[in-house]
This record gives sequence, C-alpha cells and structure tokens, in this order.
Amino acid sequence: MNASRYMILLYASMLGVPLLFAIMSVSALLRLGTVYYISEMAAAAGLFVYAVMGFVEAFSHSGGGMRIPKSAMSAEIRTNGIKNSITPAGPGERPVTVNLGRFGSGRIEFRKHGVMANKFTTVLDALLSIKEGEDNSLSVRYSCRMGICGSCGMVINGKPALACETGLIDACRGGTVSVEPMQVHPPVKDLVTDFSGFMKDHRKIIPELYRKDAEEQQRAEHIYRQSQDELLEYLPFSYCIMCGLCMDACPVVNSNQGFIGPQALSQAERYHKDSRDQMGSKRLGLVDSLDGVWGCEFAGACSEVCPKGVDPAAAIQSMKMELLGLDWDNDGEKGKI
Amino acid sequence: MPPALRYFLSFADVIKAINMEVLDYDVVVLGSGIAGFKAALHAAEKTKGQRICIISKLHAMRSHSVSAEGGISGVLSPEEGKDSEDSHAFDTIKGSDYLADQDAVELLVSRAPGEIRHLEHLGVPWNRTVHGEIEERPFGGMSTPRTAFAADKTGFFMMRALYDYVSGVEGIDIFHEYYATSIVIEKGTFGGICAFRISDGEEFFFRGRSGIIATGGFSRAYGFTTTAHSSTGDGTALAFEAGLALKDMEFVQYHPTALVPSGILISEAARGEGAYLINANGERFMSRYAKERMELAPRDIISRAIMTELNEGRGFPSDRYGYAYVGLDLRHIDMEKLSKKLPMIMEMSKRMIKLDPGSEPIPVRPGTHFTMGGVHTDIDGNALYSDGRQVAGLWAVGECGCVSVHGANRLGSNSLSQCAVWGRIAGEKASEHAAKSSFHSRSHPEEILERESGRIGKLRDSSGSKNPYEIRSAMQKVMDSNFFVFKTVKGMEEGVSKLLEIKKEFSDIYVTDKGKKFNTNLVNIFEIGNLLELAHASAELALRRRESRGSHFVMEYRERDDAEWLKHSIISKRGARHEISYLPVRITRWKPQPRVY
Repeated sequence: MNASRYMILLYASMLGVPLLFAIMSVSALLRLGTVYYISEMAAAAGLFVYAVMGFVEAFSHSGGGMRIPKSAMSAEIRTNGIKNSITPAGPGERPVTVNLGRFGSGRIEFRKHGVMANKFTTVLDALLSIKEGEDNSLSVRYSCRMGICGSCGMVINGKPALACETGLIDACRGGTVSVEPMQVHPPVKDLVTDFSGFMKDHRKIIPELYRKDAEEQQRAEHIYRQSQDELLEYLPFSYCIMCGLCMDACPVVNSNQGFIGPQALSQAERYHKDSRDQMGSKRLGLVDSLDGVWGCEFAGACSEVCPKGVDPAAAIQSMKMELLGLDWDNDGEKGKI
Repeated sequence: MPPALRYFLSFADVIKAINMEVLDYDVVVLGSGIAGFKAALHAAEKTKGQRICIISKLHAMRSHSVSAEGGISGVLSPEEGKDSEDSHAFDTIKGSDYLADQDAVELLVSRAPGEIRHLEHLGVPWNRTVHGEIEERPFGGMSTPRTAFAADKTGFFMMRALYDYVSGVEGIDIFHEYYATSIVIEKGTFGGICAFRISDGEEFFFRGRSGIIATGGFSRAYGFTTTAHSSTGDGTALAFEAGLALKDMEFVQYHPTALVPSGILISEAARGEGAYLINANGERFMSRYAKERMELAPRDIISRAIMTELNEGRGFPSDRYGYAYVGLDLRHIDMEKLSKKLPMIMEMSKRMIKLDPGSEPIPVRPGTHFTMGGVHTDIDGNALYSDGRQVAGLWAVGECGCVSVHGANRLGSNSLSQCAVWGRIAGEKASEHAAKSSFHSRSHPEEILERESGRIGKLRDSSGSKNPYEIRSAMQKVMDSNFFVFKTVKGMEEGVSKLLEIKKEFSDIYVTDKGKKFNTNLVNIFEIGNLLELAHASAELALRRRESRGSHFVMEYRERDDAEWLKHSIISKRGARHEISYLPVRITRWKPQPRVY
C-alpha cells in the first residue's frame, strides 16, 4: 500500500472511530438504545477496515510496518565485509546482512553489517557480535536474552519486536534484516530509547493491590485465598514484561502524547480483575477519560506485537464495556477519583 | 578538534567535576533484584520518614531475578503434619554437603513461609490448589513438595509485584541505569556509593548512613551459562576491592538442564512435574547415580551424572546443536498440566530451537547457574572483614552475599527464599542503623568524586591494543574448561596461570566509545574487570580445596574430607595480593553424614 493512501485511511479512522465511540458514550448515557447500536455497528465496521489495513501492512514486508515509512531518515549506507562469526558455531551457518539503523546526531543512520548466522542465532546475538567484533561503541539494551526482562525491544523489519526472541534467519528478507530503534520512546543513542515517560505512565494507574486491611498486608499472617477461576481472570494480563513494544506499535500513542497507552491500561485491567484488589470501580475511574481507555481506537496493533500474548486491546475493550455497564448500574454516576 | 577547543573542553570537564552531585540517603541499596527491592521496602517500613534509594544498572524491573523460574521454598502448612521446618532445614543442609551454617539455615526455613505470604499479599499470581491455597511442587533435594510457584515464571512475577509496589512507596527513589564504580568505606564504616548515570555519564556520590549490596552473582565469568548478560557480580567485586572478605568462592553451581546451544535455563520444575532425563539410548540414566531420588536429586549430582554420560559417549551427538546433550523428556506428561505449570519452557523450546516438547525431548546439558560464594557476612547479612570484624553500616544480601545457607550446593528454590528473607532482615537492620548514625564520610565527598572521575576518565581514555570483549571470551573459555563440573589439579593450576595472564592483558585494552552518552562499552569494561577479579578469586580457592564437596569435584580427590575441609574459605585483597584463610562451619543439630540420594 502506498504511503499517501495509508495516511488517508489512518487519519480517517483516527478521527472517525473516536467520534463514533463518543456518540456511543453519549447515547449510552442518554439511554438512546438505537443510536447506541447504530454507532456501535459503524465503529465496528471502521475498526474492521482499520484492522485489515494493519494486517495487510504487517505482512506486506514493505519494511514500513504499521508506521510511517522512515526511509527518508536513512542518510548513509555502506557495506562491510562479512567477518563476524557468532559463537557457538553451529551447523548450517550462512551469511546475513544486518541493516542497522543507529540514532546519533539527531537522526537515524543506516549501515550494513555482515554476520554469520545459523538457525538458532537471534537478532540480539547478531547485534552483540557486531558490537563485540566490529564496533564496540554500539549501544543496545539487553540482559536476560530469554524474553523475560523486557530490555531489547526494537523495530525489526519495520515491526516492533524483542531482539532476543527473533531468529535472525527467520527475520531475513532477501538475505537482509533491518534493525532500528523504537520510534515512540525518545531516542538516546543507537538502539537505546528513553523509557522515563513510559514508567511514569505505568505509575498513573496505581499498579498495586489496594487493600483495606493494610496491616495484614504487611504482617502477612494468613493468605488471601484465590480460586483457579479467579486466578485466570487476571493471569493473562500479568505477563507484561514492560518492554514497551505495544506503545511503539500503537497509532494513538504515536499521535497523541497525552494517551497513557496500552501498557498501562492493560495493567489497570490486571489489577482490577485480581480478586484480591479492593479498589473496586475507582480503579476504572482512573482510566475513564480520553487519555485513558476512551483514547483507544482499537487498532489492535498492541496485541499483535505483544511478545507475551498479553492482549492489551482486549483489556481496554473489557474496561470500556465495564465502564458503560457501571454507568447503568450507578444511575449514570461515574466513579472517577 | 582544534587544540584550543580541546583544551577548553577538558577545562569544562574539570569545572563539571567540582560540581558533581552528592545525594544523601539514609539507606543506599545497590541492586534491584528481589533482595534489593525487599531490602528497600522493609527499610522504608521500619522507620517512617527515612529516605532510601535503589541504584540499578538496568531498568530496575529487569534485574536477573526475573529469570528465576521454578519457585520459592517454604513450609506453608506445617499443621497438616506432612512437612516441617526441621525437614526443610535438614534437606538444605544435606544438599549443601554440610558446608551451610546451620543457624542461618534455621533462620531461613523459619522466615521463608512468611515471606511467601507477604509476596502473595503484594500480588504474585501463585498457582493455587482447589481450595484456593498456594500450591507447592516437588523440587530437587527436597524430601516433600514445598516449593511455591507461579507457573514457571516465579521470579518474574515476584519482581513485577515488588517493582510495582516498591515504586509507589513514599521515601524510596529508584535510580534506573546508574552504574556503580566503587563502594566507599572509611575506617571500617560505610560511607556511600559512587555511580555514574549511564545515559549521560554524569557522576554521583550516593552518600548513605547505611548501605546494602544486592547485586547478584557472577556466573557470567563462564561462557555457557543460564544467567543474564548482566550477572557480572559488580557489588561483590566492589566489596572485594574495598578490602572486604569473600567466602566460599570456589563453589559454583552448574544447573543440569541448560538449553543448547544458548544456555537458557530449563527449569528444574520440569523434573518436579515429572520429566525424565534420557541419554541417546533412551535410558533413564539417573537410576545409576541416584537410585531413590532419580531426576529429583540435587543439582550437583545430576550435573555430574549428565557430564559422565556425555564423556562416556552416551549423549546425543553434537552435529544438531553444536553441543552434545542429553534429553529432558516431557512427552509422557499431560499437555494441559504442561501449559498450566510450565508454559515458559514450552514457549521457549518452540521459539528458540523450534522444538515441541510434546513430541521430542528438550536438548539440555549443564550450564553455570549460581554462585554460592560471595561477600562474607554474619547471620544478619552484615558484611565482614577476613578477621570477622563488621563493616559498620554495610550489608550484602541475595546471591552476592554469602550468609552461607547454600554451602557447597544450593537446593533449587532456596535462592528466592534467601533473597526475600535476608532482603527484609538487612533492610530493617540498615534502617535501624541509619536512625542512630550520622553520615560518615571523613574525606569530603567532592574529593571522593574527583578521584573517581579521574579513574573513570583514565579508563575511558584507554588506547591499548586488546579488544576487551576478546579478553572476556578468553576468561570464559578458561572457566568453562578448567573450572567446570569435573576439575583436575593440573587443569586448575593451568587455569589460574592463564587467568593471571588474561588479567595482565586487560591492562592493555582499548576503549572505542569515548563519549558519555549511553556508553555501554565503558560499562562492559567495568563488568569485565569485575568478572576477572572474581574468577581469579574463585579459581585460587578451588585450586586449594583438596577434596570433593557439593559442586566442587576434583578428580584426584573424589571424597569429602570433613577432617580437613569442613570449613569455609575466606579470601581478601591486600594490595594486589590475595590473602586466604579458613573459618569453621557453624553446626547446630545436624552432624555430617554420608550424602546418599
């Protein structure tokens, strides 16, 4: 899909879908059932188009992904000889070119590096091999290399992904893999981005169990019982490793600085759905705003890129539904705190 | 750059050096794993109004504790009569091959259940029984199921609960991505910690009334390891450099089931849930090594069994993954159970090596996993000098400290309880100490910072001939081959002299990144320096210990020798020299016996 058509659709859905959601909310408040259902249908249709567009983009291998193409930012492309070999040397090694976009002096510069890879080599292995052999000054965040610490989020072939979980050869497109920093987190150096805003957003939803028995919470003499079913209510949302990929993929976060984004919202649902939490509807009140759940346009990109299957999009829609339901229960009175 | 400009810039550096920041805290916690978070939390709760900081070289929630998989040990329902604290203590002591200090083990087992409940109250999504209680699973060396777990991501869930909770506690400041370069100790008293902010190289002196080191282990001295790239033993090395003693550094745990070829951990929980270990002939070979406990024998015994199978040619060949291996067989276990209790290892096998554990055994071999040794401490985790004097105001907890509950071999799931128990103890003690102490830094903090800044600048300017990463690889190769599951005296002698050479080469490194912005090149060089010091100390002690105990197995001395070696090794630095001494093991109720499983 070419960039201009993409942009038109993007903006149309960015304006249209929230408008429809606004109509939905107002009609829900005013108990206008028919208007509500019509706007809901229209919103669903809009989201469907948007989602299809997203899938087309994601699988078109155009290098653009679900984002504005960045090729304009590439200034310098040079090719180095193939000289790095990744240890341990395994069977079936073959050369792969890493087109590495590094942030420095205000822009991203691309440069090609040759590495040797086998089918177990990850993108992180390749980056470390470049760092340790070719250019020690390359900056990249990494730690556990097993997909649980959340350090190595970056954009691989146009799609946000964890470098340690992405097979280099799997990611190959015509012998090349492109790697660049995430876009929505402010760039610092090379592949490293600034997460301070991300962490602040995470705090906004008060990510901790609220208990009325504060003393027992500290003394911990008895356990809070929880059934398997109660556990399963929030468990899927508790896998979040705070890698920031969902934020990078989200079209709303990319355009609206105020939106707290899918990461924090999914964690609001995680604590809200925990049977041990006693904050009740007040927790939903924390996200009952246009910068909260109502900012979400249900693009679904967050859930698509989440490496741990958290599904923030489902979490957000579930909170929206519950908020609408709460309004009926409470005679239209919202529990905002 | 024109010379005048360069001169001006260096002048600007001097001005900046004078203005470097000094931050005052009641309690300074270095490290943000489970032990570090627990320490900060309980310090804050002990004395309201105190200011506490956590310094982490990573984003604090990403510390290596997230990689802990199988669970945390603790006797949760002794009233049912199936389990007791004494039984947990005995299993731990037998597992340690009688090198653990038994008073510390008794403290561990009595406090662990409370810590599990506390973590439950902070939000850990434990697996539950049908009655809604916390479920416990069998684990290696534990005579009954007493390991609480949250699927096979227990450490991760504990970290998320702690990070989420602690980052909301008033009085605690978290410094993400600050790298510590020295611990300041003057006249036997803790003064503070020097660290630079990785994002811009700015240097800080965190002056503290109390300090807690919780920086984890140093398994990255080895190449084939289950641990994170960040497990470089920084705090242990800084304490060593500051003149403190290290204890039992020769005891390094090799986990039996590291995934090939990457070394990623495949949890012991797999065997806890019933997985078999098989060789290339399909034989459950553990029957020849630990008849009764089979796959749930302690880790040292299973690692030796696997290495024996591989050495004697009964492993699967190396052509598929680049390493010979044995199989971890889950094929007979119900799929639903696997997805509920071991989702991560299922996911990782599929993602990392494209293998479905439901249809093929997972390829594994032993990999370095945990360092039992660390900063020499008393039973409260208070750091000690080699002569037993306390360092006033400094504690070392978690994997970086050696309170000695693990002795010569740690039992799986005892590490998380150790982190939680001593995190709390040290946090409370540090808070009490801070409440009655003044800041102790006799020399002016500006002088400390200036000295530190000079040292860092000098290192950054290094322009020798050696690539620091090649030096690290050389060290890892020595550790992997000369100080692994089976050691020989000749191999260790050779290893020590190679390490000395490598250390010499390290003084001739070059530093490519001369900038201050997110300079991971510089951070890595500090880490490599730390690893080299610790690897050297570990190797020296291993060479001297002429017996086999727990993880330390010497081909020439295959038996445990209680008459000569039932003692802790203590090593400290006097200038460039190592001073080695020994300390008796504290034995309360359990006399050493032959160790059969």
